[in-house]
Amino acid sequence: MLTVPGRTYRNCDGISRRNFLQVGAPLLGLGLSSLLERESIAADATRDKGRSLIVFWTHGGMSQQDTYDMKPDSPAEYRGPYRPIKTNVPGTIVGERFARQAKVMDKIAQVRSVFHENGIHAPSAHWMQTGYFGPTLARIAAQHPSFGSVINKALGSRSPHMPAYIAVPKAEAFGYQKSVYLGASYDPFEVGADPNSKNFKVPNLALPGGLDLSNVRKRRDLLVRFDSLRRDIDRTGVMDGLDAFKSKALEMVTGEEVRKAFEIDSEPAALRDRYGRHQYGQSALLARRLVEAGARVVTVNTGYWDHHNEVHQNLEQHLPPLDAAMATLLEDLEQRGMLENTLVYCAGEFGRTPLINGHAGRDHWSNCFTVMLAGGGIVGGRVVGASERHGGGVQERPSTPLDVLATIYYAMGISLGTHNEDASGRPVSIVGGGRPIHELT
Amino acid sequence: MLAMVLFGSPEVRAGDDPVRIAFAADVVPILTKLGCNSGGCHGKSTGQNGFKLSLLGFVPEFDHESLVKEARGRRVFAGDPDSSLLLQKAIGRVPHGGGRRLRIGSADYQVLADWIRQGAAPPRADDPVLVELTMTPTRGVLQVNSNEQLKLSAKFSNGTRRDVTRQALYLSNEPEIGGVDGSGSVTTGERGGLFAVLARYGGKMAVYQGTVPFGKATEPVALPKDASPVDRFLVEGWARLGVLPSEEVDDATLIRRLSLDICGTLPTVAEVRAFEADRRPDRRTRLINRLLDRPEYAAYFAMKWADILRNRGKGYSTSKQRPGTALFAGWIRDSLATNKPYDQFVAEILTATGSQRENPPTVWYRQVRTSVDYVESVAQAFLGVRIQCAQCHHHPFEPWSQADYYGLAAVFARVGRRGGFADAEVPTNEQIYVRSSGQVRHPRTGRVIPPRPLGGPDLSLSPFDDPRQRFARWLAGRDNPFFARTMVNRMWGHFLGRGLVHPIDDSRSSNPPSNPELLEWLTRDFIASGYDLKHLVGRIAGSRAYRTSSQPNDSNRLDTQSYARFYPRRLKAEVLLDAFSQVLDVPTVFPGDRGGKFPSGTRAIELPDENVSVHFLDVFGRPDRRSACECERTDDPALAQALELVSSTEIQRKLADKSGFVTRLAANKKTHSENVQELFVRIFSRRPRDEESRTALEYLESEPDRKAAYQSLMWALLATNEFLFIH
Repeated sequence: MLTVPGRTYRNCDGISRRNFLQVGAPLLGLGLSSLLERESIAADATRDKGRSLIVFWTHGGMSQQDTYDMKPDSPAEYRGPYRPIKTNVPGTIVGERFARQAKVMDKIAQVRSVFHENGIHAPSAHWMQTGYFGPTLARIAAQHPSFGSVINKALGSRSPHMPAYIAVPKAEAFGYQKSVYLGASYDPFEVGADPNSKNFKVPNLALPGGLDLSNVRKRRDLLVRFDSLRRDIDRTGVMDGLDAFKSKALEMVTGEEVRKAFEIDSEPAALRDRYGRHQYGQSALLARRLVEAGARVVTVNTGYWDHHNEVHQNLEQHLPPLDAAMATLLEDLEQRGMLENTLVYCAGEFGRTPLINGHAGRDHWSNCFTVMLAGGGIVGGRVVGASERHGGGVQERPSTPLDVLATIYYAMGISLGTHNEDASGRPVSIVGGGRPIHELT
Repeated sequence: MLAMVLFGSPEVRAGDDPVRIAFAADVVPILTKLGCNSGGCHGKSTGQNGFKLSLLGFVPEFDHESLVKEARGRRVFAGDPDSSLLLQKAIGRVPHGGGRRLRIGSADYQVLADWIRQGAAPPRADDPVLVELTMTPTRGVLQVNSNEQLKLSAKFSNGTRRDVTRQALYLSNEPEIGGVDGSGSVTTGERGGLFAVLARYGGKMAVYQGTVPFGKATEPVALPKDASPVDRFLVEGWARLGVLPSEEVDDATLIRRLSLDICGTLPTVAEVRAFEADRRPDRRTRLINRLLDRPEYAAYFAMKWADILRNRGKGYSTSKQRPGTALFAGWIRDSLATNKPYDQFVAEILTATGSQRENPPTVWYRQVRTSVDYVESVAQAFLGVRIQCAQCHHHPFEPWSQADYYGLAAVFARVGRRGGFADAEVPTNEQIYVRSSGQVRHPRTGRVIPPRPLGGPDLSLSPFDDPRQRFARWLAGRDNPFFARTMVNRMWGHFLGRGLVHPIDDSRSSNPPSNPELLEWLTRDFIASGYDLKHLVGRIAGSRAYRTSSQPNDSNRLDTQSYARFYPRRLKAEVLLDAFSQVLDVPTVFPGDRGGKFPSGTRAIELPDENVSVHFLDVFGRPDRRSACECERTDDPALAQALELVSSTEIQRKLADKSGFVTRLAANKKTHSENVQELFVRIFSRRPRDEESRTALEYLESEPDRKAAYQSLMWALLATNEFLFIH
C-alpha cells in the first residue's frame, strides 16, 4: 500500500462481485436494490454526450517549466533559457515556444498540480494512463485498462463503421494504452503509419499483395453466403459479436467511409501547412478527421520527451511542432463547431526536474507537473492548482492521476460509479478515490 | 421495554438484557443494511468524505472508533441522540452525499438512537456473538414470474434466536432468472434456469438455491444403453429444469470436436473417413484413446497448463533471454504424455527446489514470487477459489478473512532464492531452496500468522520441514474439498464450454455448481482413479452429454447452465492458427531468439511461452500469462481479429504459397465438383450440402482465373463461423 498525502492508494478497490457492475440494468430492480439503491453512484448513469477525445501523449515526460508552468523569477538554473510570453488570458503566461497556443489560451485549461509517487517511466505511464499504480520496472505487464479502453467500453464508437479507439501511429510501447481485463475488443486500432509520410496508407486497411478491392469484395460476398447457409450451427447469438466485427472489418476495407477518413491528402494544403508538415501536425489533423468520422478516442503518440541531456536543444525539435499542431487543432475544431464536443488532453507520465542537471537536461519529476485540457465542455483559460516557488512540489490543490481521469470521464459523460471486473472477478472502480476537478467542469 | 414496544418480543435483541444494545450484533448490521459501509460509500478503503467504516462491517472495533472518537465526537451525541450526525445525515436533515437512508422513528432509527442514548458503548467481550444463520427454505423450485419469501433466522452465542429476514442483505447470482429484494422476497423472471441467493447478516452467510423450470418438469429422457453415470446426473438435471437435450451429433461433428478438444488439432480427411467407416460399438472410446496417445494431446494440454502456471517468456523490454520456459514447457508436456497422476504433478511444482536445469518446475517460482502471487496463484489454480479480496479486507461473500489469506501466504514464507540477476524480471540462474525461517504478519494486527491452508490445519513445523510438502499432502488428501473438484471442474469446462461451477476458478457457497451431484461424482471418480487425467478426459469426452448437438430445440434454446445443448466456442488462438496452417498445408514461421526461427513445422500449440511475436495469436486472445486465471485467455470478439482475417498478409501468404494446398488444388486435373467435396471435408470435417456445393461451383465456374478462384473460395470458407468455432 502506498500512502500519498491525504489519500490512500491500494490495489484493492474491491467492493463486491459482478452484479454490482450492472447498475442501471433495468431488470435488476429486484436483486440488488437493497445494496444499489443505497450506492450514491447509482444516481449518475452514463449518458453519452456525443463527445470525443483527442489525446497528445508526451511519452517520456514533457518539461512543465519550459512550457505551461514557467518560473521566470527563479534562478537561471531553474528557469532555463526560455522567456515567458503573455497569452490572450490576462495574467496567464506560457513559454515562448508556445506562441501559437498563447493566442488560444482562452480555450486551454491547465492543471499545474498533478502528482504521483513514482519516478520511473513504465510505472508512471501506467499510473497516468490507468489511474492506478501497478507495474514496476521489474514486472512491467499492464494491470489495468487505459482510459481510452475504459471510454471505448463505456461509450463505443459514434459511427458503426469507425473503430471507437484509434492510436496514431501506434499504441505506446509499454502496452499501457490497451484494454487488459476489459477484453481485446477495447484495444485501440493502430493506424500503423506516420500520417506525415509521403503516400500515407493504413497498413491494416491495405490489401495484402496480389489482392485488389474486387477480390476482397468477391470474398466478402462468398463469406456472407456460406455463413448464412450455416446459420443453423448457432441460433443462440454467441457468434453475433464476431459477425458484427467481420462486417465492420469488411466494410472498413471495402467501403468508403473509413478509407475516406484516413485520406489526409484531401485536406486543403493551406490547412495542412497550418497544422505543420510534421508528425505532430499531420497526426493532429488526422485525429480531427477521425473524430469527424465518428471515432471516440484518438491518441496521438508522437515524440519522445525524455530529455536528460540538453533539454532545451531537444525541446526545439518538439515544442514548435506540438504548438502548431495543438493551436491549429483548437482553432480548426472551433471553426467547425466541434470544440464543445471534442475534448483535447495533453499529458505524459510525469514532468521534469525544476533544477537543470549537469548535462543541461532535466530528469524525471512526478512531484508536481502540468497537464493540459481543452474543449469538451472544459472551462478554457483556467489554471487550476499551483506548484511551489521554484516548481518543486504542489503548492495548492494537489491533483492525482485519478482526479485527472475522473475529470475526463465526467466530461465524456461516463458514470463515475462505473466499475469493471478484473481477471479475478473483483470490480475495480474507474476513478477509485479520484474526483473530477470541478473548477474545470 | 422500548425493544418490546418496537418488536413485540423480548427475543429481538441479541443481548440477554433486552434493553441493552450490542454494537456488533445490533448496530453494525443496520449500517450494513443501509449500505453505509458498502464499497461505494464509507466502506471503501479511502472512506467517504472523511468518514470511514470497515468494509461491510467486518471489523466492529474499527467502526466503533470511527463513529465515537473521530470527528470531534459529533457523529454520536449521547446527550441528545437525535442531533447526532450519524442520524442527522442518515435521515437527510444534514446534507448527505448518500442521500436519505432512514426514516425518523423507524425501527432501525430507534435502535441507533437507543444505542447512542445508552452511551454508544463499544463492543464488549461478553456481547453475544452471532453463531449461526439459517435460511428457510434452502432450495426451491419456482415457476416463472412467481414469488417466494425467504426467512432468515440468527442464533446467538447466548442461545437467543431471532428473525433477521428484514435486517439481512440479499444478492442473487442470476437476477434475470431469480431476483431478490431487500426484504428477502424472491421474484423469478421470464425464463428458466438456476439461481442462488446469498443472504448476509452480521458477517455470516446463508444461501438459497432456486430452480426455475423452462417448461413443465418432464419425465427423464431415456438413456442410451452405453450412457455413463455422467449422463444419469445430467438427465436428472434436465428433468428438473424441464428441458430436453438436443439431438446427438453425427460422427463427423464428433471427431472434429474430439480432435480439437483433446489434441488442439483438426482431424485430417483420412481420419474423418476412417472414423465414419468404423462401425464397432466402442469406436468412440477407441478414438478418444487414440487421441490421448498422440503427442498433440500432451502439447495442447501443456499449453493450457503453461497458461495457468504462468510460463512467461517476456522480460523487461531489454531482456531477450528465454529463461527456462522451454525446459518447463517440456517438463509439463512429458508429465502429461506419461499421464503423471495429477496430485503428483502439482506436488512436484509446489515443492520444487533447485535450479531450472535439474528441476524445471522451479521455473514456476520465477513468475510466482511474492505473497500475493503465491496465494492467488495457488488458490485460483489448484483450489478454484478467488481469494484476492481477502488481501485487504474480509471477503465480502465468503468466509475468508485476512488471516486465511496470510495463512496461505505463510506456507510459502520460507521459499528462498539464490543467484540470478537481481533486476531482471525473470532471473535465469535462480536456485529455489527452503530457508530455515521466514514468516508472514497480519497486515492489520501485526501478529505472526502460522502457515495454514484454507480451512486446513496449522502447518507450523520445525525449521527442518518444508511447509510446502505438508501443504501438498493436504491438497491431495481424499477429503480435500477443493483440489480434485477444481480439476474436474476445469476439465468439464474445457470440454463442455462452461464449468459446472462457473467461472471455473470461482467456487463459492454463493456460486453453487449447476449440477452438484455430477460434480461430486466426477470428483470421487477422479480421486478413485488415482488422479488419472486421461481417465478423466475419457469420462467427460465419452459421455452422451459431450455428443449433444449445438443446435437448440424449443425447450433448451435459452439454457446456458445444464448442457442440454452444446455451447459453441471459438477455437483458441493457437489452435486456429494451426488449423489454418494444416488446411492450407503451409506452416507458420515462428520467430525465435536473436533473429532465429523455430524449426519449420513447429505448431503454435507447441511454443514454449508467449514471447513469440505473432500478431495473429495476440489478436485472437493468446494470454500474456500474467495470472493463474484461465479467464486471461479471451475469446472475446474484436475488430482486430476480423481485420486479421480480411487483410492479413499471413493468411494471404498461406493461400498463395507455391507449394501450398490451394496452389496444388488449382493445378490438379480434378473437376471442381470433386475438389469441392474434398475441401469441405478438409475444412469442416463433413461433406458439403447441396446448396453449398452449388454456391461453390457457381463461383468457381464464374472465375476465369482458377488459382484466384480457389484462393477466394478457401478464404471465404475459412472465415466462416463454422470453421472458427467448435460446435
